[in-house]
Amino acid sequence: MTISALVALMLAIMPLPYPLDVLRPDFLVLVVFYWSILAPRTGGLSLAFVAGLALDVLHGIVLGQHAFALTLMAAWATQVRLRVRVFSMLQQSLTIFAFLAGYQFILFWIDGATGNPVTFLSRWFAPVIGALVWPAIAGVLNRLNDR
Amino acid sequence: MVAFRSADNSGRQSGLLLRCVLYCLLAIGLMILDKRYDQLSSIRRGLSVVVYPLQVAITSPFEAWDWLRDSFRTRDALRADRARLEQELRIARFRLQRFDALETEVRQLQALRENTTGVAHKFIVGDVMNVDLDAFRARVLVDKGARDGVFVGQAVLDEGGVFGQVSRISELTCEVILISDATHAIPAQVNRNGLRTVVLGSGDPNHLKLPYVSTAADIVKGDLLVTSGLGGVFPAGYPVGTVIDVRRDPAASLAEVDVQPAAALDRSRLLLFIWVDAAK
Repeated sequence: MTISALVALMLAIMPLPYPLDVLRPDFLVLVVFYWSILAPRTGGLSLAFVAGLALDVLHGIVLGQHAFALTLMAAWATQVRLRVRVFSMLQQSLTIFAFLAGYQFILFWIDGATGNPVTFLSRWFAPVIGALVWPAIAGVLNRLNDR
Repeated sequence: MVAFRSADNSGRQSGLLLRCVLYCLLAIGLMILDKRYDQLSSIRRGLSVVVYPLQVAITSPFEAWDWLRDSFRTRDALRADRARLEQELRIARFRLQRFDALETEVRQLQALRENTTGVAHKFIVGDVMNVDLDAFRARVLVDKGARDGVFVGQAVLDEGGVFGQVSRISELTCEVILISDATHAIPAQVNRNGLRTVVLGSGDPNHLKLPYVSTAADIVKGDLLVTSGLGGVFPAGYPVGTVIDVRRDPAASLAEVDVQPAAALDRSRLLLFIWVDAAK
């Protein structure tokens, strides 16, 4: 779990060329959701909080912003995890889209409240991209987890 | 919030809500402390040191690749490079001949005008770390920090012109906000006629905006914009960008002006951190 979170964190700050970096999925957020759904006891909210704090230090404007958003959404994911586990891939992706949209909205809201609004439309690509890559990430993590 | 009920590990379920509330309060507390009281810079610095190895780990493969490519270059390429550099050095020397005299003259004139904008007297070179900070904010991480004397608000240049300013520092690294960031503004003036204005970032590294120029203002395509020194962050006289398009709508009171930044905002690897001494 720790390793997957660290790898995701590295992917999150991996340099990408200019137009591509907007399309980068939130790897760490997806990994946190994965562990919240699959094994909330191993990491759960503590993982979400620490991961959020790491994101804050790496590219947050206000310390605690990502931590707050990620903790809330991870709690939601933990709460509905039993339903999500039996979902088909498509349904899971849609659920993840809802989580990511909520996450992004909280970030957007805090950005606005602290006076650093990012109002580009491209910001809202992130939930869509995240939902699209969710099957791949869940698949990889499942494969690693089975070993 | 709905009560948490679940079959597995039911003993911990009541804790979920509690822990969620606890962590959220903690996060909100952090945000308030960070935003309102600015108490957290030391904590942030400490945390930055913790993530520093990660940032180095990301950067090092790229650096290794650069090094490898450099060491396998052919002799011809190196020779061509040397010839080019010698040529550039000759031109630079030629330009420098008059520089000392000009600088003295500038200082005298500034003393006459009792101007407080100073002349850069010291600089260090920083290397941009190959780390992406945020896709929606134009910021870069540089491998110079508080240890090297870098301070928040320091002006940063590259070889073409103004690059940005230091927005946050940690012990070993600092974050530089580019002049193309959508929230960044830099006071500038048209070099040709001294028209003062403010240059705003657009979020695109190849494009700056000039939103506060009236349609009647004397500004044309090709004008060079330099820092005006107002605002006290950037020293006066450094190139900011070139006007590439002026659109005047007779119905509007303000013209739309597009500016191409002088610095290579999306390509520069070496940055100059400058110290400015007040002229008085």
